Order: sequence, then structure tokens, then C-alpha cells
Amino acid sequence: MQRVYVHPLPVRIWHWTNAAGCSTLALTGLQIRYIGTINVVPFRIAVQIHNWAGFIIIANFFLWFLFYLTSDRIRAYLPDLHPVRYFREAMQQALYYSYGVFRGLPNPHHVSKYHLFNPLQAMTYQLMMLVLLPLQGFTGVLLWNLTGFAGIVAVFGGVRVIDTVHVLIFAVFLFYIPFHAYLGTMGHTPLADYKAMWDGYEEVEEDERVDVGE
Amino acid sequence: MLQKTGCMESDVTNPSICGCMARRLGAIGVVVAAVVLALAWTAKPAAAAGPDAQCLTCHSMPGLTMPLPDGESLPLTIPADAFDHSIHGPLGCTGCHTDIGLPAHPAAVPVIKNKREFSLKMVEACQTCHAQQSKRWQTSVHAALVRDGNVVAPVCTSCHSPHAVRKGVAEAIDTVPCKTCHAAIFTAYTGSVHGMLRSGGVTQAPLCFNCHGAHAVRVPSEVQGLKDTCLNCHKNAVQAHSTWLPNVDLHFNVVACTACHVPNAHRRVDLVLFDATTQKAVPAAEGVPQFQGPDGSSMTARPGLDPQTLFNLLQSLNRPGVPDKTVIQGRLEVSTALEAHQIVPAAAAISDCATCHRAGANAFQSVVVTVAGPAGIPIRYGANKDVLSSAFSIASIGGFYAIGGTRITILDAIVMLALLAGIGFPIAHGSMRIFFSHLLNHRQHDRRKG
Repeated sequence: MQRVYVHPLPVRIWHWTNAAGCSTLALTGLQIRYIGTINVVPFRIAVQIHNWAGFIIIANFFLWFLFYLTSDRIRAYLPDLHPVRYFREAMQQALYYSYGVFRGLPNPHHVSKYHLFNPLQAMTYQLMMLVLLPLQGFTGVLLWNLTGFAGIVAVFGGVRVIDTVHVLIFAVFLFYIPFHAYLGTMGHTPLADYKAMWDGYEEVEEDERVDVGE
Repeated sequence: MLQKTGCMESDVTNPSICGCMARRLGAIGVVVAAVVLALAWTAKPAAAAGPDAQCLTCHSMPGLTMPLPDGESLPLTIPADAFDHSIHGPLGCTGCHTDIGLPAHPAAVPVIKNKREFSLKMVEACQTCHAQQSKRWQTSVHAALVRDGNVVAPVCTSCHSPHAVRKGVAEAIDTVPCKTCHAAIFTAYTGSVHGMLRSGGVTQAPLCFNCHGAHAVRVPSEVQGLKDTCLNCHKNAVQAHSTWLPNVDLHFNVVACTACHVPNAHRRVDLVLFDATTQKAVPAAEGVPQFQGPDGSSMTARPGLDPQTLFNLLQSLNRPGVPDKTVIQGRLEVSTALEAHQIVPAAAAISDCATCHRAGANAFQSVVVTVAGPAGIPIRYGANKDVLSSAFSIASIGGFYAIGGTRITILDAIVMLALLAGIGFPIAHGSMRIFFSHLLNHRQHDRRKG
């Protein structure tokens, strides 16, 4: 196995901050919405934690965004402009997750510095990081101070519209967070991807290193 | 004489009291005059001097009344000493009763149909000197009720005893006139923190007029009225609440102070139909079918608007071509005026957020839809509580939402489904991975052995 440095320190700090923050937001979000059914902390405390975690995630998002804007590693997030190839690789990856992994077949995706994500990952991360997370932050900020942003809230149709969007995205995150954590166990060992996101080094087969050091 | 001065005009405008009625009134007038003159000989001297003494010669006699056409009696006895010491004393009798000509009195009194008509007529006399107060009264809910034909709505003399008016009487807790009509509410007030402080001599504690106005009497539940009223005295309330209450401005906008400061009250959500441009409550929409029963009658007594009907109502009000759009602004308040006056000390007020923010909270079990009635008096229509949790509410009640308490039911299903899928899929997929991994290992092991 060859160790390849694919997760620089800023990305790892961002990732684990994001993981902790989003988990906190999801748990406090459940507590806030279902107070009376879930009573881990008092409602007021849950709201305060939720607000603070939200602002941390927003700040963290901008750090991530700035890092990738100023780094050549942004290529990992750029969409594949070859739709046929993208579709073929996405299907191969889906086939692996739904069949190949049970038969012990090798993962069709090979990790490298600029080819960090498989097609399904890339599509998911683009949707999460460039659409849903910013939208969730935006609606969250509006809900944080509805009076201060009353004009904007009215333009979008009122607090219920804003809240409905916030809750629907919340539902996506509720699905995504445990799902993402589980997919992290699908490396060559169950903890390999976790370890890589901790120390920055992915362990890849010698013949898998296609574009390392490009 | 009565027929000549009073009834000639009435004969023209109101035929019902002409003819025999006029003759009856004339006879009554003659009887009253005879009784008055007879009693006058034995009456005690009046306290007043000058022309008023002449009036009080008769009008200080106890039990002096004038029978009216509707069968009531108009009391004519004036408490001479009280009048002499009243603020109105220096004005003299004719200061207000300008239509009574002394030489021809008492026979030549104007025709008085009933006591109510007389009170309404005397409002004009009060306006002569109290123009500003009268102008403010015209804007009041009391005046609106009078204009609407309410026969017990108060006019000047209902609150101010005209012949014994003294400064401060209307401002003292023992003599404040509001309790005459609003006895039950006044009792609730006296048990409140405000009432107890006022009774204890704390003059800064509000009495009725401090919150409702003395002459421009308003219903404080009119939209923002009560909040602003409270903040007039509790100027640092917003700041004080901001130390512990999230989204404090929003809470102050949509939750009436009494909703928390009367902890045992029944609360309700008041959904007010607003003109989005003018920010004023829209009037009852004539012709909008949802507000009318099959026979055109008001829907007030019907079970209540359901979510779709409320949605359809908004669609009707905002149909294409209507320039001013209507929106709904919601407000949490106490259900009755009686409860609104049972304010407790701040330490006993509701401060547990879960009281309202949990599912099924009592605060959201009662819902009304409000439009502006005549003279701005709110008209409330009952609504089904489901209007707050239906998916229709996203479009219809954009302006009112309480996290947890009024959450939309279908979103709960989506959230639960997402959570179950997010946890369930990894468990199922992971289990299969483990199973097939063991299976593969066994096969490899068997192959090696084979």
C-alpha cells in the first residue's frame, strides 16, 4: 500500500468541524422541533446551542470556500464535463455499492489528489456544499432574527415558507449524516477512510496511483 | 304649551308621536308643572344663589321625576350641594341646559322621548366646553357602539355625573366609572398585580384609563395596541426579556404580554387579515363566500374555517386584479377580556418555552380569524385548529409560526422517514456486507481446503 497525502490540514479541520457542527445542529434541531418528546436539554439552551453551532458552520463554510477558491485542489469539486463518461462511472460506482461490495470486487474508484471523489460522491458533495448547506445557512439566519429580516422573509412568502425549506433540508441532512458516516466505513478497512480524514493520508494500492503528484 | 314648542317639529319628522301622543305629552307636562309648583312651596331653600336658586327651588326636591312616553321616568332631582361644589357649579344650570327658557318653564320643556335620547342630546352640551375630549370620544369604541345603535354604550353622562362632577373622581379606584358596566372585569383587575398595587396606594399602577384611554377608549386587543400600552410603562421590558428570551422582538410582535403574564388563562391564536400595503386589518369582505352562510348570514356561529377554506378565502381576497393584497398576521393572546385583566407579578409569569413550543400546546387549540368590523371593532370567526398545522398554512398563514407548537404535520412524516432511512439503510447495507463477507471467507476457506 502506498500512502498518498490527499487531505491537507485546512480541509481536515473544516471536515471535522463541519461534522461536529452539523451533528450538533441535527440533534438540537430535533430537540427544538420535538420538545416535549425529546427533552435532553431545556428548549432555550437547545436554541442557543443551535444558533451558535449554526454560525460556526456558516463561518466554517466560508473558510472551506475560500480555501478551495485559492487552491488547485478545487479540481476535486469541479463537475465532469464529459456526461457520457460521468454517467458510465456513476453507474459503475452504483453497481459496486449495490452488488460488487458484497462479492468482494474492487472499488472502481481510485483516490488521488485531484480525483478525490467518485462520481456519486462528487454529485452529492456538490449538491450538499454548494446548494443545500448555503440554503440551510441562509434560512437559518432568517429564522434566527425574523424581525430583523422581516422584509426578506416577506419576499419569500413568510416564516412558514422559510421554515418549511429549513425543515426539508434538515430532513436531507438527517438522512445524509448517518449515511455519510456509514459510507466512511467502505474503505479497504472499515476505519481506513476515517484514519485518512484524520491524518490526511489515503492508503492506495500501488497500481491505483494514477494521477498522484500531478 | 308642550304641543306648541316640542311636538310641532316631531309631528313632521315622526308621525308616530303626533296627534294623541302629543296630547298625552301635553297632559303629562301640565301634571308635572302642577306637581312641581305645588311642591315648590314646601321645598327647602337651595344652596345655590342667583338664577340657579330658582331652578333648584324645584329640582332639589327628592323624588322629582318626569314620566316619559316609553314608560320610563326621568329623574329631575339635582343634588343641590353636590352641584354647588361641583366643577360645573359655576356654570349654572343654563350653562348646559340652554334650551330651557325659564319664563315658560316647566311647562315648555322640549319633548324627551326616552332617557337614552336625552343623554345623547346632552352630549352636544358637553362638546361646547369639552371639545377635545369629545373629539377623542368620537374615535372610541364607545362612540362606535353608539353609532352602531347600541343603547347601553356610554356617553358623557354615563361616566361623569354631570351635576356632581368633581376632579379626580373618575381617576380613583373606588369611584372609577368603568366598573359600572365592566364589573366582572374590574373585579378581575382588582385581583391583579396592577389592581392590588393601585389599591395599596401606588398611583403609578395603572387604572382602567391608563391602558384603555380616558375618552378615546380602545379595545387593546386591536393588533399591537396592548403591547404598546404595556410598554408605555414597562419601558425596559424588551431589554429585560432579551436577556433570556430568544428572538425577543418577534415574541413581542406576535405574543400579547398577557399570554404569558396571565399564566392560567385560556390562550388562542388570532389570525388577523391584513392589507399588506396599509398594514391595517381588512374589513369583512362582502361577497366573499367563506364569510357568508348559505342565507347570507354571518359565519360567526358556525364550527369554523377549515384549512382549505381559509386558503380559498385568501385566494378569493387576492384574486387577479385586486390591487391590495391581503395577508394573515397571527397573534397569540388570551381568550377573554376577563382573563386579560388577571395579570400576575412577573415572577409568576410563564417562562418555560415548552409551554407553547411543544406539540399540542394549549395555546394553539383555539384559533380565530379576525377582520375589522364597523368602526374597526374586531369581528372574529372561529377557525379549526388544524389551520395552524396543515400544509395549506404554508401559503395561507405565512405570518405566524411557533416552532414545535404549530409545526406542519406532513413535514414531521418527511423528517421521520429521512431519519429512518438514514439509519436504516446503513444498518441493512452493513449487515449484508458482514453476511457476504463471512460467506466469501467461508468459500475461500473451503476452496483452500479443497
